[in-house]
Amino acid sequence: MTALKYPLASEIAALMKAAETRSAEVHSVDDLEKFRVEFLARKGGIAELFDKLKAVPNDQKPVLGKELNKLRSHVESLFEAMHHRLNSQSKKEEEIPDLTLPGRALPVGTLHPITQTLNDIAAIFTSMGFAVANGPEIEDDYHNFEALNFPPDHPARDMQDTFFISEKVLLRTHTSPVQIRVMEHQQPPIRVIMPGRVYRNEAISARSLSQFHQVEGLYVDRNVTFSELKGTLVAFAKEFYGSNIKYKFRPSFFPFTEPSLEMDITCFICSGKGCPMCKRTGWLEILGAGMVHPNVFRKVGYDSESVTGFAFGMGIERTTVLRHGIPDLRMLLENDVKFLEQF
Amino acid sequence: MRISFNWLRRYVGFTSTSEDAAQIITSAGLEVEKIEPLGKHLDRFVVGEVIAAEKHPNADKLTVCQVRVEGDSFNALQIVCGAPNVREGQKVAVGLVGATVPRNQHDANGKPFVLTKVKLRGVESNGMICSEYELGIGDDAQGILVLDGNAVVGTTLARHLGLDDTVFEIGVTPNRPDCLNHIGVARELAAATGAQLIFPEEINRAEAREEISQHLTVSVKNTADCPRYSAVMISDVRIGPSPSWLQNFLKAVGVRPINNVVDVTNFVMYELGQPLHAFDYQRIAGKKIVVQNATKGQRFITLDGKEHKLSENMLMICDAEKAVAVAGVMGGLNSEISEKTTSIVLESAYFSPTSIRRTSKQLGLSTDASQRFERGIDPNGTVIAVRRAAALIAEFAGGKILAGVIDIYPKEISAREILLRISRTNKILGTDLNAADIEKYLSSIAIQVKMESTSAADSIFVCTVPTFRPDLLEEIDLIEEVARLHGYNNIEDKMVSAIDFRNMHVTIAPVADAARSWFEANGFHETISNSMIDATTAEIFSPHTVRILNPLSNEMSVMRPSLLPSMLQNIFFNQNHGTKDLRLFEIGKIYEQRGANGGNDPVPGFHEEERLGICISGKKQLRTWYNEDRIVDIFDIKGIVESLFLKILLDKIRFIYYDSSSSLTVQTIGIEINGTYSGYLGKVSSTLLQRFQIENDVYVAEINLASIKEQGRSFKQFFQLSKFPSVLRDLAFLVPKKIFVHDIETEIFKSGGSLLKQVTLFDVYEGKNLPENVKSVAFSLHFVPEEKTLTDSEIDAATTKIAEAIGLKFGAELRRM
Ligand SMILES: [Zn+2]
Repeated sequence: MTALKYPLASEIAALMKAAETRSAEVHSVDDLEKFRVEFLARKGGIAELFDKLKAVPNDQKPVLGKELNKLRSHVESLFEAMHHRLNSQSKKEEEIPDLTLPGRALPVGTLHPITQTLNDIAAIFTSMGFAVANGPEIEDDYHNFEALNFPPDHPARDMQDTFFISEKVLLRTHTSPVQIRVMEHQQPPIRVIMPGRVYRNEAISARSLSQFHQVEGLYVDRNVTFSELKGTLVAFAKEFYGSNIKYKFRPSFFPFTEPSLEMDITCFICSGKGCPMCKRTGWLEILGAGMVHPNVFRKVGYDSESVTGFAFGMGIERTTVLRHGIPDLRMLLENDVKFLEQF
Repeated sequence: MRISFNWLRRYVGFTSTSEDAAQIITSAGLEVEKIEPLGKHLDRFVVGEVIAAEKHPNADKLTVCQVRVEGDSFNALQIVCGAPNVREGQKVAVGLVGATVPRNQHDANGKPFVLTKVKLRGVESNGMICSEYELGIGDDAQGILVLDGNAVVGTTLARHLGLDDTVFEIGVTPNRPDCLNHIGVARELAAATGAQLIFPEEINRAEAREEISQHLTVSVKNTADCPRYSAVMISDVRIGPSPSWLQNFLKAVGVRPINNVVDVTNFVMYELGQPLHAFDYQRIAGKKIVVQNATKGQRFITLDGKEHKLSENMLMICDAEKAVAVAGVMGGLNSEISEKTTSIVLESAYFSPTSIRRTSKQLGLSTDASQRFERGIDPNGTVIAVRRAAALIAEFAGGKILAGVIDIYPKEISAREILLRISRTNKILGTDLNAADIEKYLSSIAIQVKMESTSAADSIFVCTVPTFRPDLLEEIDLIEEVARLHGYNNIEDKMVSAIDFRNMHVTIAPVADAARSWFEANGFHETISNSMIDATTAEIFSPHTVRILNPLSNEMSVMRPSLLPSMLQNIFFNQNHGTKDLRLFEIGKIYEQRGANGGNDPVPGFHEEERLGICISGKKQLRTWYNEDRIVDIFDIKGIVESLFLKILLDKIRFIYYDSSSSLTVQTIGIEINGTYSGYLGKVSSTLLQRFQIENDVYVAEINLASIKEQGRSFKQFFQLSKFPSVLRDLAFLVPKKIFVHDIETEIFKSGGSLLKQVTLFDVYEGKNLPENVKSVAFSLHFVPEEKTLTDSEIDAATTKIAEAIGLKFGAELRRM
């Protein structure tokens, strides 16, 4: 009680009142700065009172000191509140640009749709443990035909019209010769896919190209079965075309596989009802495959009794046009930017 | 291969629809590519009889007809007809109301139209009497089609015309020559459905007393190429048309009916698969047939009237004086069946497939017969087929079959025996089939199966394969037959149980992949171009091009020796399609001919190299509200290459600045990776642009990816980040214009000490306020301390040292910043 009698106590109370009064008058950043100088600065009112505290008798010091601290924290919180208020006010006043202006664009590039299809197919098979192998496009007759069980002068060669470079050198008609090259350099087990460019001497049209891409697959080990071939292809097709597809297998013929098959899935364009893309059958042929023919194993020096294997192959251009609904295969080689940037 | 459903059903009891048949045949491995219902467009047309025809009361050229269209009813349709030739009593083709008339003869394009009930000049007309043209079965539009008097009123026109049939277009694979005929396909259909195969009954015709041997001798000089030659003779034939049912069958499979002899030979070929040839006996000189090779340079005119030059390896059918047929390919004009023919020789032979294939290829002549011979027919079917043909000819053309068959068959080709292990079958297929299953499947396609041995471990069958299946050579072929007949879709889809990583060589393509994603992220479009280009263009780029012997066209006759022509072609195409601002890249191979020895090319003498091509042209970016447009220049392509190399972890590259430029590019800069020349960048020369008709400047880079691959895939090594603040200082020099920035930069590094980590050129200025031949170059220097904070005086000392060095070396003057 005695403390209150000391003049400093009333000075503290007066300054508190003054600060409150003045705070109501602060409307701008300038006002706030004046407020700060008046009360909180190094030479402001509060500092002045702290100076005076030094002259106060010791017994009074704790009480008055506490009052002064209270004053200081109160004024500081007033200042903080005003600062916050002014700041948010000033932000509101900031000019808003025309937000409908287009953004500063970053360049947008594209991978060729063939590359995208190849990458997707490769990703599925590499996740199944297949490695990737490559081979030359200019091939010899031996790797492209003979080692793949196409005897010379056999009608099976008519299935693949060939571009020749010389009598025994040609542009590979399929990626299958890479199978031979892999097996020539490696013992089983083998699990590889072989993507690449192939050539056929066929007139160019909306439905056929003289140059296109294939992905070949080869799996050789002890006890590989036809049943596992089917399982692998089903797993691939469900991953690539969707898990709800329906599929069927048909016997077919490739000289280097036996038994050979072709796989059809329900046309995803018409859901099996029949459309021009599936020739109104409701089915799309997606790949050919089969068990590696013993003659192929014999050519690469494998024991065809102890190892078995399967191979499969699919055309990338066809898959690509089906996926994207592209009406004409030729568009894939024109490289029209207006076409490329759609994918 | 066209197969008629009606014809097929003669040999197999099959009662379901043609669609079902198609599906079953497809599942058996004979893919039905197209189902063609022949008379579907005529299903609302019937045979009618004009029972009354009167002049139209209001029109001179029209006739009002009463037409009976139902078999046993006299209810008639009133039809107004405009044709001049309509008469009472005629059997005619009537389109009923609702029918779509295939061709409108009053429309310039013959567009189809639908028949409705109409009034013509006040008289009701309920249908139409049609002309051949309108029905789409002929070109006569002058008058109505008048049918045979025997036509049955009320039957559909499709049936009357033999068009109530469905044709399957089957893609027969080269391994199945046995299915290039109706019996073969019927056998598959029967096997798949469990039905019985009905072989055509042998027609017993009395033979004449005269022996064929009295009139004809045959000698085969080349039994390797002609292992079997059978023949019969028929005398006193009358050449004429064959019966309409036979003509209809032939038309359905796409063969034009000619006469009763030729039609029968075609019929039997399409029925049994044996190609036959009929010779006019009167035109066979010396009553003699000799099968022998042609002489070199010999000339021969085939049935189609074309003259061919023969070579020694071609097998010919000759008489005593001349060649009369190219064996197995085509007969000659000189022994063709004509209207005057009275005696014929029917040939039924088995020729070696490779011989026929060679001849057919060399002559560029592929016929129904040659296609069958070269795939392999049944050597043991010649006599059955020729006897059947003779009987049919005798039936349709009259005539007497001479007694006996000439059959030159010195070395019988017998049925092959193949061992089949049940364990092996199941091991390959992943199935659990038993002996009874396998026996059932194989015997359904005429393979005789006999148990050879059986033990707890395995049972082995001896399978006797009929000679019409030349494709079945070894055990695996029989395993495929088992799988096929069991049904591929009845075999479980089993996922490979565990991944085995033994021997796994995973090769990845980090460089190409990294480059692709970098280009994609930076706004480039990837192109994939044809590797085949035209020869003249190719030769501009390399003297060692790879040429295609049999190109599709001149434009695609050489393998590209560089990516540049492909890229320029792409620029040209886009320019013509309205896109001139381009940022394109391509990763692809180039091809060159090299000396056969040396190098490790997989096919000696032919070098393939994977390259990266980049090309830019036009504006760098379009004019926008925040940006001025700018045309790209050499520093854009250079910057692209520099940034790309930074991205794919290459710091060992060096640019080589040439004094002169090549004919392909100007402003050319060579690219060296770890001391090996690996490509170039530059501006495409104006002559080259003109050649490709390109209007804008084009900047390109072409880099060998293999040389990057060899260098690439090293991991960048971490270095300690400095704990002390780094310091930036700018220095500008006035130097003679001819001094290269690259050289100044090198000198700055040399003189700047170890703390100088980075030098960035940020300004180049020439012109106003500067003397001529002088430029100002300004660099930002980045000092990074290692052990302590750098003081101002230390930095000053370092920059002073640099300034002195530059001044000394280049006569440069430090500019106050
Ligand atoms: Zn469809």
